[in-house]
Order: sequence, then structure tokens, then C-alpha cells
Amino acid sequence: MIADHGRFDVVVIGGGSAGMAAAITAARSGARTILIERHGYAGGMGTASLVHSFCGLYLLRREPGAVIANPGFCGEIEQRMSAATGIGPQRMGRLDVLPQHPVEFVRIADEMLAAEPMLETLFHAEVCGIERDADEWRISLTHRTDCTRLASSSIVDASGDAVVAAWLGRECAVAPAEKLQRPAYVFGVRCAAAIDEAARLRISGRLCEGIREGLLPPEALGLTFRASGRLGEVFGTLDLTGNMNGRDFDPLDASCLSGLEFTGRQVAAAVVRYLAGHDATWSDSYISHWPARAGIRESRRWVGEYVLTGEDLLESRHFDDEIALATWPMEMRETAKGPKLRFPTEDLPAGIPLRCLKPAGIDRLFVAGRCISADHEAQASIRVMGTCFATGEAAGRAAAG
Amino acid sequence: MRATKNKAPNPTELIDWLNDEGLVELDWDFPEEGDLIAAGLDSMAVMQLVVAVEDFFGVELTPDNLTRTNLESPRKLAALIASKMS
Ligand SMILES: Cc1cc2nc3c(=O)[nH]c(=O)nc-3n(C[C@H](O)[C@H](O)[C@H](O)COP(=O)(O)OP(=O)(O)OC[C@H]3O[C@@H](n4cnc5c(N)ncnc54)[C@H](O)[C@@H]3O)c2cc1C
Repeated sequence: MIADHGRFDVVVIGGGSAGMAAAITAARSGARTILIERHGYAGGMGTASLVHSFCGLYLLRREPGAVIANPGFCGEIEQRMSAATGIGPQRMGRLDVLPQHPVEFVRIADEMLAAEPMLETLFHAEVCGIERDADEWRISLTHRTDCTRLASSSIVDASGDAVVAAWLGRECAVAPAEKLQRPAYVFGVRCAAAIDEAARLRISGRLCEGIREGLLPPEALGLTFRASGRLGEVFGTLDLTGNMNGRDFDPLDASCLSGLEFTGRQVAAAVVRYLAGHDATWSDSYISHWPARAGIRESRRWVGEYVLTGEDLLESRHFDDEIALATWPMEMRETAKGPKLRFPTEDLPAGIPLRCLKPAGIDRLFVAGRCISADHEAQASIRVMGTCFATGEAAGRAAAG
Repeated sequence: MRATKNKAPNPTELIDWLNDEGLVELDWDFPEEGDLIAAGLDSMAVMQLVVAVEDFFGVELTPDNLTRTNLESPRKLAALIASKMS
């Protein structure tokens, strides 16, 4: 049976950092809005994949003190998150980062979504098709075995994977397999030991020893531990190549993603077991939290009216129709061996034009988050959550207008 | 200056070697006393360093060797590798 869920002004597909910003902003602009999210909570990679810091919220600067780059939604999130964690922006060289806790992010997103009278949020529903019919969009959802239809005048694709482009058969881009930013598996560990610099270096040595002795798989070389900000809790981030069973990394392929999930958990479990047995300060540690899904940094992107390029960012270019500032350096993760940061020539942000949120030649369709129209290099900057909030906010406003 | 396989490197050779191995990006004029950790030799890069040192110089760095004092600068790291080789 196909049920009818009614008609909306704006449908937002995906409730990650971009989608929640888009849905809340559209609703605040007076549009009857629905947000559709396949998980049981919003936040996307920042909750379901346990990514635990907000980058791109602040301007790049040498002077001390963090300055919000895109006031509005970003400022609101920043305030709510630091009130929840008691932690403010942390300086790393010229960059300011706000540590965030995925558990708090879920709660903050709940509160913000529930506070909007014009917004309905539908969890546990997955958009599975889209058609254009005269002047409205027809959207199909599946949940369990049921299929539901709804209609809207505007759509925001905040799926992270440009799913709408695939359904409409429109132009999109995917980097060659060997260049795609590598995925990572993030997990929570209960661990009484402090994770300071000395501990991180010693743990690196222990992991090398474990690999040398054949007790740990070589993938453990991709692991970093960071304090979660909560007493006795640590996050492990395991960078993986994503190449599975002799096949290249493909972030859109379920078999590849399944391999990532298995490998991530296997390596994480082996490492924590090994450290519990070989490092006195880790003796009582155990894995406390698996992510709902492995973390994907880059997949399919839209090709819009304008494609933001790495050169635009290096040159800190501005545009007449810019809707947000990109401030994070291009964080290249083309190997599982850690980041290579590419900073702009001057320490200045670049503009993101509204045209990057507008697929060419399609009315009333907008894109937000990590799959906006940008080349592989520019995506390495604009994918961070601070910038996703800002492109989400702009897409929500445009879709409601 | 190129480091030679299985021969203790001097600090300048070590800087080039760290760059060649892609362990950390250092400017050509990175000082022998420069701070490697601040330059990006993070915990993940340190693991790759251990593997690469074993491969190239033939010595095993142990967890106890991996302290800030030993890794701080090209000079200190070169000294650590040399001491393990002698
Ligand atoms: C390991 C890792 C580390 C990172 N580190 C950082 C960092 O330190 N700081 C930082 O700011 N950023 C970091 N990033 C990048 C950042 O987390 C992501 O790029 C960002 O969260 C993307 O947000 P998004 O809203 O565009 O997409 P996503 O967060 O992927 O959200 C998309 C949402 O859409 C939903 N969805 C998709 N398709 C459908 C559908 N058909 N129907 C219903 N729902 C659907 C998904 O379930 C998901 O919730 C990292 C990423 C990874 C993977």
C-alpha cells in the first residue's frame, strides 16, 4: 500500500549537519518543512560516525582568539555545544577547532528540531526515489515494508552522497578511486588513562610492537586516540584505505562499506585488547561505543551552476552571490597515513557562491553539505561540519524563498 | 643530502629522509633544532616513522624510545637512531 504523507513547501533529504541546518532555517523562514533521516537521530557523520570536532566554524588567523566565520546557525550550535561540554574552541597553530561530543550533538539536534512548529522530522524513513511532476516534486520514502509518497515545491539534497543526482540521472562527479579521501572508523573507548602527548607517543610505540610481533594487523598503523572531553572516555579514529578484498575503495558500494565496518571493528577490538594486556595504564579499558556506520569523507558530488575549485580557495576568491565562507584548509586524506593540509596563500577565507548549491538547469532544487558542487580539492575544505552548517543554512533559506 | 641505507644519518640527511618518506612535510631550511612534533609528526606519523626506521636503518624503536625528548628535533632523532645502531 502506498500512503500519502501530504504536501510540503520544502523537503530536506538527510539530517546531517547540513540537513538539520537547512530544515531548521527553512522552517524558521515560514516554509512548511519536512526533514527525512534514515537513522534514529540527526547529526550524520557527527553522531552516527562519532566524528568529534567541529572544524570550519572559525576564521583562519595568527592572532589569538577564535572568531566565528559564518554567524547565524554556526554561532547557535557553537554556544549550545560549548554550554553542554564546558569546552570552548581549541587553538592548533592557526586553526581553531570546537571539540564536540556526539551524544550531546544528538540531544542538541533533538531540541532544535522539536522547537520548530513549521518542521516535521521523520526518522527511520529513507528517501528512495524522486520525480518531477509539473510544478512539484514527488518523493517516495520507504520505512519497513511500507512506501509513502509526499509532494513538495522545493528539495534540499543533504544526503552527503548526492542521491538526488543519481535518481534524476543528472551530472555528478566522483574522484578516481585512488584519489578519494580515505574513510575512517571511529569508536569510543572507556579508558582511565590520560591521553596526553607522552601517552600518545608511547601508545604509538606499543602498537608498532604489536604489529612487529604479529599480534596486531598492519591496519593498526592508521589509528589515533583523542580524549573525548569526558572523564575516562577516549575516541579512537582508524584511517583505512577502503580497498576491500582486492577491490578499490567505493564509498557508494554496500559490499565495500560492509568490509569497512568489519575491518574497523576487528582492528579496533584487537588494538584495545592488546593495549589492555600490554600497557599498565590501559589495563581496565574496553570498547564502549561502536558507530552506527563507518565514516565517509568524500563520495559523489553534484555538478552545479558553479564548481568551486581548489584554486578559488588557495586564492581566497570572493563571489557576488556568496552565501558562506570556507575557512578550513584543504585537508587531503588521499592515503590512510594522516592529513596533509593545504592552506590558502594568505590566511583569508574564500566565498562559496549560491551557484554551488544549485544543480544546473533544475528549478527548486538545492544541495548542502559535503556533496555541494566543488572539485575534489575544494571538497577537502568545505566538507567540515562548520561549513556544512553554513551551506545548510543557506540552502534552507533559498529553498524556502 | 641523501641518507644511506643502514648507516646512521646526520640531522640534515634525516630532514631530507623524513620528507622523502612523506612522514612530515619540512621546509628545505628546517632547522636541525626545529620542533618536529609541532611540524606535524603526530602519533600516526610516529608509527610510520618506527616502521620506516626499521626498514631503512635496520633498528627497532621501542615504546620507551618514543618520548618528546627523543623525537623533538632532527638532531635528537638522528642521535637516537645512531645510538640504536652502535
Ligand atoms: C573520519 C572522519 C573524520 C572527520 N573529521 C572531521 C572533523 O574533525 N571536523 C569536521 O568538522 N568534519 C570532519 N569530518 C567531515 C564531516 O564529518 C562530514 O563531511 C560532515 O559531517 C558531512 O555532513 P553532511 O550533512 O553533508 O553529510 P552527513 O553527515 O553524511 O549526513 C547525511 C545524512 O543523510 C542521511 N541520508 C542519506 N541518504 C538518505 C536518504 N536517502 N534518506 C534519508 N536519509 C538519508 C544519512 O543517514 C545522514 O544522516 C570528518 C569525516 C570523517 C568521515
